[in-house]
Amino acid sequence: MTSASSPTPETTAGWRPAARALGRAVAGRALGLAAGLHQTWRRSLQVRVVTITLVVSSLLVGGFAYLIANKITDILLENAKTDTLLRLRSGSDYAGKQFSLYSQPQAAQLQDTIEGTVNYLAGGDPQQTSGVVVAITADRYAGIIETRTSPAADIRPLVSRELRAAVGDGKVAHQIRTGRLADQRTKYLVYGSPVPTSFGQLELYYLVPLTRQDAAAADARATVLATGLALVLLLGLLAALVTRLVVTPVRVAARTAQRLSAGLLDQRMVVNGEDDLALLAASFNQMATNLQRQILRLEEMSRLQRRFTSDVSHELRTPLTTVRMAADLIFAERAEFDPAVARSAELLQAELDRFEELLTDLLEISRFDAGFAMLDAEPTDVTPIVHRVADRLAALAERLGVPVEMDVPSTPVIAEVDPRRVERVLRNLVGNAVEHGEGKPVRITLGMDQTAVAITVRDHGVGLKPGEEKLVFNRFWRADPSRARQTGGTGLGLSISLEDARLHGGWLEAWGAPGQGAQFRLTLPARAGDRLTTSPLRLVPADATLPFGGPGDAEMLAIGPSRAGVLAIGPADGGGSTVSSAGGGGSTIGPAPKPDDDRAEARP
Amino acid sequence: MRRALAGVVGAVLLLAGCGIPAHTEVQVDGSGPAVAAGAASFRRGEPPTRTASGDDRAAFVRNFLSAAAGEPERAYERVKQFIAPENRARLQEKQGSEIAVNVVRLTERPVITENANGLFSVRLPVQQIGLLRANGVLAPPVVTETEYRFGLRGSVLPEQEGTEEAGLFVTDPPNVLLLGVDALRQYYQTRPVYFWSSDGSRLVPDQRYLPLAVPDERRVSEVVKWLIGGPSEWLSTGASRLPDRTALINNAIENEGRWEVNLDLPGDDNRRLAQIGIQLAWSLPELDGQLQLTTRNQSRVMIPDLRRHRLEHPAYPVTGNPQRFTVYEGAVHPLALPDEGSAPVPLAPEVNRDVFSAGLSRGDRRVLAALVVRAPGGRQRLATGSGDGRVQIVNPSPQIFGTIGRPVWLRSPDPRQPYGLVVADRRLWRFDDRGRMDPVPLNVAGPVTAVAASLEGHRIAVVIGGVLHLASVNVDGGVVTAGPARKVATSLTDLSAVDWAGENTLVLAGTTGRSAVYEVSIDGAMETALVADVGARVTHLAAYPTNPVVPLPTVLIMYEANGVAYRYPQRDTIRRDQVVDVSPPPNGARPGSPTAPFFLS
Repeated sequence: MTSASSPTPETTAGWRPAARALGRAVAGRALGLAAGLHQTWRRSLQVRVVTITLVVSSLLVGGFAYLIANKITDILLENAKTDTLLRLRSGSDYAGKQFSLYSQPQAAQLQDTIEGTVNYLAGGDPQQTSGVVVAITADRYAGIIETRTSPAADIRPLVSRELRAAVGDGKVAHQIRTGRLADQRTKYLVYGSPVPTSFGQLELYYLVPLTRQDAAAADARATVLATGLALVLLLGLLAALVTRLVVTPVRVAARTAQRLSAGLLDQRMVVNGEDDLALLAASFNQMATNLQRQILRLEEMSRLQRRFTSDVSHELRTPLTTVRMAADLIFAERAEFDPAVARSAELLQAELDRFEELLTDLLEISRFDAGFAMLDAEPTDVTPIVHRVADRLAALAERLGVPVEMDVPSTPVIAEVDPRRVERVLRNLVGNAVEHGEGKPVRITLGMDQTAVAITVRDHGVGLKPGEEKLVFNRFWRADPSRARQTGGTGLGLSISLEDARLHGGWLEAWGAPGQGAQFRLTLPARAGDRLTTSPLRLVPADATLPFGGPGDAEMLAIGPSRAGVLAIGPADGGGSTVSSAGGGGSTIGPAPKPDDDRAEARP
Repeated sequence: MRRALAGVVGAVLLLAGCGIPAHTEVQVDGSGPAVAAGAASFRRGEPPTRTASGDDRAAFVRNFLSAAAGEPERAYERVKQFIAPENRARLQEKQGSEIAVNVVRLTERPVITENANGLFSVRLPVQQIGLLRANGVLAPPVVTETEYRFGLRGSVLPEQEGTEEAGLFVTDPPNVLLLGVDALRQYYQTRPVYFWSSDGSRLVPDQRYLPLAVPDERRVSEVVKWLIGGPSEWLSTGASRLPDRTALINNAIENEGRWEVNLDLPGDDNRRLAQIGIQLAWSLPELDGQLQLTTRNQSRVMIPDLRRHRLEHPAYPVTGNPQRFTVYEGAVHPLALPDEGSAPVPLAPEVNRDVFSAGLSRGDRRVLAALVVRAPGGRQRLATGSGDGRVQIVNPSPQIFGTIGRPVWLRSPDPRQPYGLVVADRRLWRFDDRGRMDPVPLNVAGPVTAVAASLEGHRIAVVIGGVLHLASVNVDGGVVTAGPARKVATSLTDLSAVDWAGENTLVLAGTTGRSAVYEVSIDGAMETALVADVGARVTHLAAYPTNPVVPLPTVLIMYEANGVAYRYPQRDTIRRDQVVDVSPPPNGARPGSPTAPFFLS
């Protein structure tokens, strides 16, 4: 921008880049400064108020000062004009009377009379002058009557031709002119009047120097300006002070509110005096107190509730043990009873198993709620855990006719996890999949990358309706309440699994579609305490049918977040790549509102 | 902050723009004053131009003698119009106050004789009257020529007829400006101006001539300038001047019926200004309205009514109602004339004896008497005295003379020290009321035959060697002294008697071949024959002058010739039966006639 166009590119070629660089630097500085000022403007209420006050008061004071100074100048000038006009009128009267004694311009004593009149009108003594120059000219009798002035001066440059013409027409007229009569250039108020005589018209001019008026006007102007500036500065200072008075408590309030929101509930503002700001501080403090009380009450209530659950579970365990012993005795003796009673004993035994399970789960949940759950993380190979779970559930799968497929790497998959909890989660997930598998195969996949380990469990059952991906993790949630509980699940399994995943700092997510089955994914950090960003496996299975038709059979579909943050669906370019390795891993699809929300379920 | 700065800068710029501009357009404030109405009667008294006389050579000469009349600054210009262009350089011009016009009286008609080539020569026999200066003073003549000669020529070429070159021209002109007394009378106005006497007690008139060409508006200015210029030379010992460096600022102007005179008066003395006001009031008798005197320092004297001001401040004390007395059979008797009152003689009967002639004067209640009485040996002596209302005792003078003229009392400002003048044995004497007589030295040698004192008492007319002289007198230091005498040229010769006929006129008795009584202005320029032929030499003349203080319709004159007393303007003799308190003469005796009549006022 600083490089101006030059006729010879050769000469400019050398300095043009430098100039451009300099320009860029300057522009950068300027932009930086502007940005800084803009930021200051946006951030500081005080700066804004002071600036606005300064601008507005400058305009007001400036306008006012202009008016005042103008008025003063006008008054001074008007006074000078009035004075001079009075003098001029009486002077022309006097001169007219003096000259009325002469009937012709050649009269011998006329020149003397003109000279005497001029001297008289100028105040008599030519030495004692106020700077006023009086002149009598005879434009119509040039050569006969000489121009006389008192004190002697050449007034021709100061009396313009227009003024001469106006006075020659018999008008009293005036004009301000600047010129040099004495030693320095001075503004003169030049007044002219015709002097009628018996033989014709002469002209009388008064040249009044405006030095005094000019000085007075300048003085007044300087005073007004200084006063105005002082006023503006004072107003700015005042605005700064007042704003500071208001802003400081507001800042304190903001800081206090920040601390409150950070959990420091006992933070309070200092209340000074009884003004509005004191009222604000008092109200703020009262609000904080009320909030603190409410929060403490809610915490207490929550604590009581958890305590109650835990206590109830514990208290139920003792009688249950007794009942259990009795029921075991009865169950052992059932062969001796008649078949109906034996059947009841079997039922009793089964329901007691469920009851015990429920109590165990409740205790586990209450442990989580109370924050007593501890993670015993140790480097563990996840593969045997997967195999163990599959083996444990093989009997159930066989009974339900559900084949369980495994996709597990042959190499060990080592991660810092609590194996007991991981196993519990997997058992829960695989058990659920087998239960809801409807005889179709269930597939367990284990994946890993540098930061995380992921396990997905895929079934092809009824699937999940939109929105149920989150509900499945709620306590005692049931997809179809009318459906009888066949397997005797407690309804707390997924909740406990979610808590286990959270304890690891991992994610537990669900995907499902009606008629397409469901897939659950457990993602755990490879090192305990690490923060997860991606998962090695995809949540949405590759064989899932996508909404709005989906891609053709031959092509792969790539689904992932676009650069703009909007989900983009389109054909993938690498046809042979596996689904699991495609995309960033964090991608998701389906009715889930946002990937973040899915993960939020799994965050600690 | 930036915005605030911008606002301040803007305010400064705005303020800087609202001072007094260096240049504006012409703004008209209205019409100028109109020409003052009532312009003067200009050119009223301009003398005729050269071509006015046509081919009349006598008229041309007459006009030439009046050409200098008018404003002195342009006198040369006017006269040069009459002079042939080739001769104009011979008339050397003077400037300013140097300009003076020789006033002459033609003693005969101009003699115009024709030479060859259509040229004429003119001879003017003249009597030099005086020199009319620019300040209006007719001073005594400085030249003694008794005739002037110059030539006349007509147009040089025939084709110049009707052009500017037509008409007559003066060739070989005299190297002075000439003005005939007729022209003086015609184109000038005589104006007395008044100066305070040297003791400051009364105003002394001084005769001036104002050209009629000067417009009325300038009259006041001219008069003020004359006053500032001081009195005529011959009056300078008896009259005082205004303070030095007194000056008129511009012209005096009339403003709404009020005349305004602006003076530069050193000392700025209000009392002095009031005195000037009285001077002006008397010097401007035609003005009756307001007069305002201002000095530069704004002290002012306002005279609301000039006429009343004159009444309140008389120029000199004069009582009206003059009373006539005469000497009859050696005693002073009142005269009882028709239409006039008479009063008793303010003399005790024992002093009223053997009187030849007498002079009486009255101031306040005091009466002064100077009687010429018989002395032993047929001679005469003066006896003087004073008294309240009536003079009881007279003191005879130690000197005895052959003849003594009529004694006159000076109107002295100090009534306790009265002085009089008398001619005795052809010398001038002064006397007081205790009979003391001393000669009065005069700067002109010659036999003194008559003396007369003016009304204000500061001027005397003396006939020395048959010629009229004027002098001022003053009584400074208690002694009457006469200033330098000024000779006055008159047509009358061999003057025998004189008295004052007015402030600036005299009554003279003398001869022009015949004995005559003339009224003459004090400079001799104006003459009026009152009595052209008296028939005998006038031996005694008394007049009561007209004056502006107590106006009289005309001058009252009584004179005696050949033992008979006459009076003027009635032009009849004073008869014996008009003399009061006279016992009828014894039968058969020839009654005497009243002689030496005089006035008492």
